[in-house]
Formats: sequence, C-alpha cells, structure tokens
Amino acid sequence: MKRAFAHARGRGRLFRQFVLRPLINEKVRTVTTVLGVSLGIAVVIAIQLTNASSVRGFETALETVAGKTAVEIIGSGTGVDERLLPQLGWLREHGIVSPLIEGAAALVGGDEQSVSRRRLEAVKILGIDILRDQPFRDYNLLEIDRPGSDGSSRRSTEEVNTQAFLQLLTSPQAVVITEKLSTRRNYPPGSELRLMIGDRVLRFVVRGVLKNEGPARVLDGNFILMDIAAAQLAFDRLGRVDRLDVLLPDGADLQASVDAIGARLPDGLFAQRTGRRGEQVETMLAAFHTNLTALSWIALIVGLFLVYNTVTISVVARRQEIGTLRALGLSRHKVLALFLGEAAALAVAGIAIGLGLARVLADTAVSLTSSTVSTLYIAAVAAPPDMTMGHVWTAMAIGLPLSLIAAAIPALEASRVPPTAAMRGHDTLDMRVRFKPAPLVVAAVFLIVAYGLAQLPPVGRRPVFGYVSSFAIVIGAAFLVPAIMYGLAKLGRLVLRRRLGVEGLLAHANLTAAIPRLSISVAALSVSLAMMVAIAVMIGSFRETVVYWVGQTLQADLFIGPGIRPTVGSEQTVSEDVIQTLGRHPQVAALDRFRNLDMVYNGNLAVLGGGSYDVVLEQGSLLFKSPANAREEMRAAIGQDAVIVSEPFSNRYAKRDGDTIDIPTPQGTRPFRIAAVYFDYASDRGVVVMDRGTFRKYFGELAPNGVAAYLKPGADPERVRSEMLEMLDEGHRAFIYSNRTLRTEILAVFDSTFAITYALEIIAIAVAMLGVAGTLLTLVLERRRELSLLRLTGADRRQVRRMVIIEAALIGAVSQGIGLVVGFALSMVLIYVINVQSFGWTIQFHVPLAFLVQASIAVVIATSIAGIYPARRAAQLVLSHEE
Amino acid sequence: MEEMPLLTADHLGKTYVTGDARVTALAGVSFSVEAGDFVALMGPSGCGKSTLLHLCGAMDRPTGGTLTLNDRDLSTMEDDELTRVRREQVGFVFQFFNLLPTLTVADNIALPCLLGGMQPDEAERRAKALAGRVGIAHRLSHYPQQISGGEMQRAAIARALIHQPALLVADEPTGNLDSENGANVLSLIKQLNRELGVTILLATHAHDVAAAASRVLRMKDGRFA
Repeated sequence: MKRAFAHARGRGRLFRQFVLRPLINEKVRTVTTVLGVSLGIAVVIAIQLTNASSVRGFETALETVAGKTAVEIIGSGTGVDERLLPQLGWLREHGIVSPLIEGAAALVGGDEQSVSRRRLEAVKILGIDILRDQPFRDYNLLEIDRPGSDGSSRRSTEEVNTQAFLQLLTSPQAVVITEKLSTRRNYPPGSELRLMIGDRVLRFVVRGVLKNEGPARVLDGNFILMDIAAAQLAFDRLGRVDRLDVLLPDGADLQASVDAIGARLPDGLFAQRTGRRGEQVETMLAAFHTNLTALSWIALIVGLFLVYNTVTISVVARRQEIGTLRALGLSRHKVLALFLGEAAALAVAGIAIGLGLARVLADTAVSLTSSTVSTLYIAAVAAPPDMTMGHVWTAMAIGLPLSLIAAAIPALEASRVPPTAAMRGHDTLDMRVRFKPAPLVVAAVFLIVAYGLAQLPPVGRRPVFGYVSSFAIVIGAAFLVPAIMYGLAKLGRLVLRRRLGVEGLLAHANLTAAIPRLSISVAALSVSLAMMVAIAVMIGSFRETVVYWVGQTLQADLFIGPGIRPTVGSEQTVSEDVIQTLGRHPQVAALDRFRNLDMVYNGNLAVLGGGSYDVVLEQGSLLFKSPANAREEMRAAIGQDAVIVSEPFSNRYAKRDGDTIDIPTPQGTRPFRIAAVYFDYASDRGVVVMDRGTFRKYFGELAPNGVAAYLKPGADPERVRSEMLEMLDEGHRAFIYSNRTLRTEILAVFDSTFAITYALEIIAIAVAMLGVAGTLLTLVLERRRELSLLRLTGADRRQVRRMVIIEAALIGAVSQGIGLVVGFALSMVLIYVINVQSFGWTIQFHVPLAFLVQASIAVVIATSIAGIYPARRAAQLVLSHEE
Repeated sequence: MEEMPLLTADHLGKTYVTGDARVTALAGVSFSVEAGDFVALMGPSGCGKSTLLHLCGAMDRPTGGTLTLNDRDLSTMEDDELTRVRREQVGFVFQFFNLLPTLTVADNIALPCLLGGMQPDEAERRAKALAGRVGIAHRLSHYPQQISGGEMQRAAIARALIHQPALLVADEPTGNLDSENGANVLSLIKQLNRELGVTILLATHAHDVAAAASRVLRMKDGRFA
C-alpha cells in the first residue's frame, strides 16, 4: 500500500515536472490550444442551448398558458364552431371544459408604419370565460380599477372574487394585463391601451393587473386577458372559439381519455394531449436544429486537432528528454500515459473555459437565429436555458475522450522514442519522401461509400445518410491529401524556385519532406475550408434560386398584410373594411386575397391556403415543378376538390401530381387530388393551396391573411402605396409593401437566416488557423538543427522568416485548393441531398465565384499571418551545428 | 608593402554564462593566419578549439579581445553583419557533414550562392563545376540520405567553396569517416588549398590530420600550449 502510494506520488511529480511545467512555460502554445478546445466546446454547447431556447420559448408559452389543461379539442384550422358546443355536453363526463380564444397582437405606442413588422412588440392574448376557466389557470389580481360614481378611476388592491373578476371584464374594451407589462409600459389600472390586431387598432381599458404567476409569466409578461366574447369581437372570430380545454379528474388515464374523447367528436374536430403542439413545433424545427448542430461539431473537431498539434510539438521538442527518461528506466506505457495526461490537462482547461464561453455564445447565437425562428416558424423565442450539470457532463463526455483520441498518435510516437535518442546524433527523423498507394485505396472506398449513402432516403425527415455521406467524403479526402500534396510538390518545384527565389526553394523542400507530418494539418484545415466552400456554394445557390423565384412569383405590385406576421399559432388577418377601402384606389386593377391556416397533416404542421387560381394564372405568378401542363391542370382544378401543393410538401410526404391527399376540414376529412406541384421558398412547412371557391365551400368565408394588389399599367407603386396609407383611418393599420420592398425584406430574412452559419464558419476557420500556426511551430522545432545550419550557411533572419511565411502561405493555398474541390463535392450533398431531405427545396446550383476568389485570397493571407510567430521563432534560433 | 594577415586574433576570449555558472572556453588567445595558409588547431576535447573556430567563422561574438577578418573587426559586429560575413567570406565543413536533408546535393552545394542572391542558373553552373572538381558530379540529383559519408563530406566541401570564401573553416572534417574516406577528404582539402589558394583553419584532435597542415597550433584549457 505504502509502495503503491509512493509510486503514485512519484508519477504525479513526474507529470508536474515533465508535462505541466512546460505547458505553463510555453504560454503561447498552451493558450492557443486551450482556446481552440474551449471554442469548440463552447460552440457545441451554445448550439445545444440555442436549439433548446427556440423550442423552449414556444413550449414554455404553451405550458404556461395551458395551466392544468390535459386535453385540447381543436378544429381543422378554423377553430371550433360554437354551434357544435351544445352537441358536446357529454364532455362533462370526462372533466371540466373551458372554451377559449388565443391570439397575438402588437402594442401600439407610436408610428408603427416606420417600424419593420419584425420588430413590433408582440403580446399574447387569451380570451376566456372566467367562470369556467378558473380551475385551469391561476389568475391572481394585484390591482384593479374601480371606477367611481363620477366615472373617475380608482385603484384598489383588495381581494377579488370570481364574480367581481367577471364584472371587471364585462365591457368589450376591458382587459387585464400583467404586472410586468403594466410597469414596463406604464399602463396602470384605468389607463387606455391600444392594440393592433390584424390590421385594426383597437382601444382597450386596463381594468386589472395580474400578479406574475400562472399565464401572466408567458412572453416575459407580455400577456393580456379579456372576456371570450370580447376576444371573439377583437379577433373577428364571431361564432367560433379556437379550442376547448379539458381538465381531467385526478388519476384519469390521459391517453385513454384522449382516445375516448376523440372517438366521439364529430367530423372536423380532434382531441390531442396538451404539449402535442409543442412536439409538432419541435419536429418542424428539427431540420433547422440538426443543421446547426452539425455545423457546431466542425468547430469542435478542428479544436481537437489543436490538441493533436500541441502534443505533437511536445513530443518533437522533447525527444531527447524522452530518450533520457527511457534510458533511466521509464516504460513505454508510462511515456504514453504522460502525453495522454498532457492532452487531458489541455482538454479539462478547454472544457472549463468553454462552458463559461458557451453561455455568452448562446446569447449571441439566439439573437442570430431568433429572427429566423420567429419569422419563419414561431413567434416566441426564449432566452437560452440555464446551463445544468447535464451540459457539464456532456462537455466532459465529448471533450475528454475526443482529446485523448486526438493525442493518441503523437503519444504513441512518444512511447516509441528509443533510449538512444538521449544521445546526440543518434536519433534522426526519417526525412525521405515516400509515396504510399494504400491511402488512395482507402480514399476510394470512402468516396464510393459516400456516393452510395447519398442515394439513401431520409430517416424520420432527417438526412442522416446525407450527413454520414458528407463525413465519408471528408474522411476520403483526408486520405487523399498526402497523394495530392506529393503531386503538387512535383508540379510546384520549378515554379516556386523561379518565382520566390531561394526562400521558395527552401520552403518547397521543407514542406515536401514534411508531407507525412503536414498531411493531418492540411487535412484539418482543408475540412474547415471545404465546409466554408460547401456552405458558400449552397447559400449562393439558394440565394440565386430565391432571387429567381421571387422575381418570377412576386408579380403583384403591392402586398397588403396585417400588423403582425402570421406564424404558428398566431392567426392574423386583413379586415374587409381595409380591403374595400384600398380596393377603391383608382390605380388598382385586381386584388387577390389569400388565406392560410395551420393544418396538421400526418402529425406534422403544414399550411393550408386558399387563393384565387384565376388571378394567379392570369398574372403568371407561380413557378411550377410538375406536371408539364401544370397551368392547364390548375385551371381545370378551379371549383373542384383539387389542390396544388408546394415542393417541400411534395418531397416530404412523397406526393406527386395526380396523387390524392386527405385534408381535415370542418366537415370532416376529405380527399383532394393534387393538380400540380409548384416551387415555394417562403416556408419549408409544406403548403397545400385550394382555389378560393373550394376553400370557401369547406371552411367558410374567412378573412384573408394578406392581399396582393395588381395595379394598372403605368401606375407608380410607391405613390399608390403612400396614397393607400393615407386612405386608412385611425382605427386601421396595415403594412403595405411594394414589390421591391418585399423582395428586399425576403432577402433580408434569407440573409439573417444564414448569419449563424457564417459565424460558426468563422470560428471553425479561426481555430484551423491556430492549427496552422501550431503545425508550423512543430516543423520549426523539428528542424531547428537544419534552421541553424541555414543560418550558418549565410541565411539572415529575414530570409528565414520569409521562408517560414512562404511555407505558411503554401499550406494555406494547398488547403484552400483541396478545400475548393472537396467543398464542391460537399455542396452537391448539401444541395441535392441534405437540403432536399431536410426542407424539401430544390436549389439550382450556382457558384459564387467572387466570394470564392475573395475567400481564397483571404485564406492565404490569414495562413501567412498565422506563420508570423513560427517564423519569428525560427529566426531567433541560436546558431549551432550540433544538436 | 607587407600584406596584412587575413585573420588576426588579439587576446581573444569567450566566456559562457549559464545561470550562476561561468565557463571560460577561451582565455585570451592571439594569433594570425595569412592568406593561403593551412592552419590546424589541435587539442583534446574541451580545449576550446571548436569555440575558437566558431569565433573565426563569424558564428559567434567574443566576450573579450578583438578578431579581424579581411580588415573587418568581427568582435563588434551585429548579427546581420556576421551573417553577411558568413555568407560572403567564410565556408564551413563540419564533422557530421550537416547537409540539409530536404535539398538535393546540387541544391545543397548551390545554397550559399542562392542565399547571396545569385541567379539560380549561375549558381547551378558553379555547383556542377565544383561537384566535378570534388568528384561527385554523378550524385547531384541525389539526396544526402542516398549517398555515402565520404560523398557527403565532399558535397559539404563543395558547398563551403562555391561562393569563393576568403576562409574555409573545418571542424573535425574526417571525424565521422572511416580511414580511407578520411584520407581522401583530407587529401582533397590539401589539394584545394594548394590549387585554389583557399585559406584553411581546421580543428582536429588527430595527429595525422594535423600533420597535413602547414602550421599547427596546439591548445589546452582555452590557451595555446
């Protein structure tokens, strides 16, 4: 026992002296590596937190508003017709029932026309029957407004019973807001509050302030309560409610209740568990999240490469010391353990810092992605959740083993250093350049496998095989790197000699001899650069496709929409008043009303829309994918039980023109024939569009979400827009976009969607640059004898520095060259496999030439800069012709 | 008019300081070497001959005394100036050959000229000529790892002479060769001294090598014995 303890102490001391002390002394190298690992860990955890926040915001809002609700009864996109309620008395056998209206509005406080629709402050509104809803949700009033006999307002904090609460909300203008909202926006009880609902500005009076409990916590206090009738009026949903909440008795079997209720509901109504909506949103966001997660891993892998680099430098610089330790009796296993310990020490430090960085990065990532999520998917994005021990364990579970794997090769190399390395001149590294064909075979196998995997279908809407195919391409390319470098070395010899003088000659010779050592560095940098190229090509292609699509499909001169952009769970409409008013403008030639509903299809959230087929055909504002005679088919579908579907819908559900799909309607589920498939890049949720007549037949006359206005020839859209805005009275607010402005807005959303992608790429490349610096430092240390000889032979410091910087630039240029080729291959997988399987979009391949040229130049410059420190170290070596 | 010596050392000293330890490698030596001389420095290991060679070859600066080469005081020069001296006026031959393993024999020989800014074609031409002169013309495209020790040392000698230096510094040039190769290399050095008039300063602990020189300076404990 004593002996074991003594051994352990001895090993600990050896570790401190041999590993920790040099790490502390070599500050630049250690800090660089720890920074690389920490960035990688931070990015992975930050993306996990970000992904959680986008769903969490919606789910938290759902749960907070749901309260004790166990089952929801919903309709087919249009809510529940009140005329059905008398038929649903049997629901009381299952539990308590509460009808409600749930919607969104925007606070009105200034000139909202000048504010982008995306930046309005949104509030959630719940319209309830207070008598029936109290068992479901906690409403605790802090303050109320008790109007005096003279009509003046008097604030009171006395307890309020249900009857009194009911009396608070008797007026259609009465609302109860939250304490936070009241304080933040200065809305005390008795004050007036204006809300934009759809395109109308409505005035309300604050009759009470809720304590920060229950549903008052949703959207950080942006919550308003009103009577259900008032909500029906405000949201123009007279005759229907959004859903019925059911509260089950304690001990009731939830699923059995859902099934039992669902079986008895009339056609057009469905029962689901509370939280099902959250699951649907999570599924909808899955592809977006998976892509972000995949990107985040690149940063981590490149960061781990730095661990490999640092341990390699350590081994190279201390071969003689290792030899001495071996000569003194240290076993190979203990040498291996020492260097793996070095990797572990770096990893632990990197993980600790990375966890701290993760939260900061997560906040940034949320702000970069929230615009996309809230614009394209859901209205609410929460702040990232707090980091938990789970995240810490995740970071350790990812970072530590991978670091040890990364350090395995150099650690094994260290364990093989012979004791004779302790003797000067007896341990020289083999500098012969040997080409080995075996890696070419391995590369070929991986590339063939990659091709095969790319042909496979998605797994649960996730392009799993697509990602594995990308991984296989990267591995295959990595095995090709040595052969590519040998080839380039042969080709580049004369050019470098002639163009870059003796420094070019020496740089070429050094790099050629170091190909076995360099291959991993170049492969790692190439992978990062390949991803940058692939994503740039994908985004460039996507953007060109969207620009073309926008150009072809946005034919209307003006687009009129409600105050808040509709998203999942948030129905926003344009009122008939506004349509009639604006339609009277003398320059208006035609108006196309379109209406979208959330539809659950095959358990996923899709969109069902109604639009004027004849107007669309007249204006030519759809790009069809199939069939060849799509326009004729669409014309024939007017008034029929037929639909056109978007490409994402077609790809996701494997439905083609001619197929039949079952669509839930208030009259029950009905079959509709698909007349045509069209390209649509506005949403990846999948859209089904009926002709207006067919839509009205099944869903009734519903207010549109938006109106497209076609002007007479020669009309000035901007002028007409200004005139239209002046035609609206105080009580109405609409957002009117000119065609040009809408195109700009669409592209702005597009660009902001990929902002996080660019950010992750920059991090990955920055970490890779650190790797280049580390690799060059390794080479400098490995060659210190040769560098010293060079100086002895007459090379001055400037020539040595120039040589190393040329080496750095060559590494960058070769890596970028390989990155371009591999990047193009990856872009094919991204565009034709991953994107199609994730989102269902067809993208036309387009090469962003200007960007790629600029990026290539930037990479060479960046790697040259990365070579400055190693160059300075090389130039400062002490002259000696002995080891 | 009497010609100045090529190399003059006056009370030359070198002390190394490492932490608290001070090691005096050279304790004030004075000597001169005329142009065309072949001088051997002889002494046991640690006597200071390598240190003296390093100073004369402009590899290092003395800590005491003065050292002039071609009328230029090396003892006060900065690193860049010393580098230029090495590039233009000194050629080195080492015990362990010290050819750059990443360059071919031809490139190794041409290196001093290339570092000096000579056109590659001209440097190549000179390298070929010298390689022929030292008997390794058939090895120009080989790498150092592919040729024998004797051939490597010949290449090193060619490298040391390509830029027509004023002084050739050789540190145990036969120390890593077998007797036959050693004798051949020594013979070559003598021949070059005779035919090209190259001034040679050679360090050795072997009597037979020292005997090839026209003058021998014996060293012990950092001084001339």
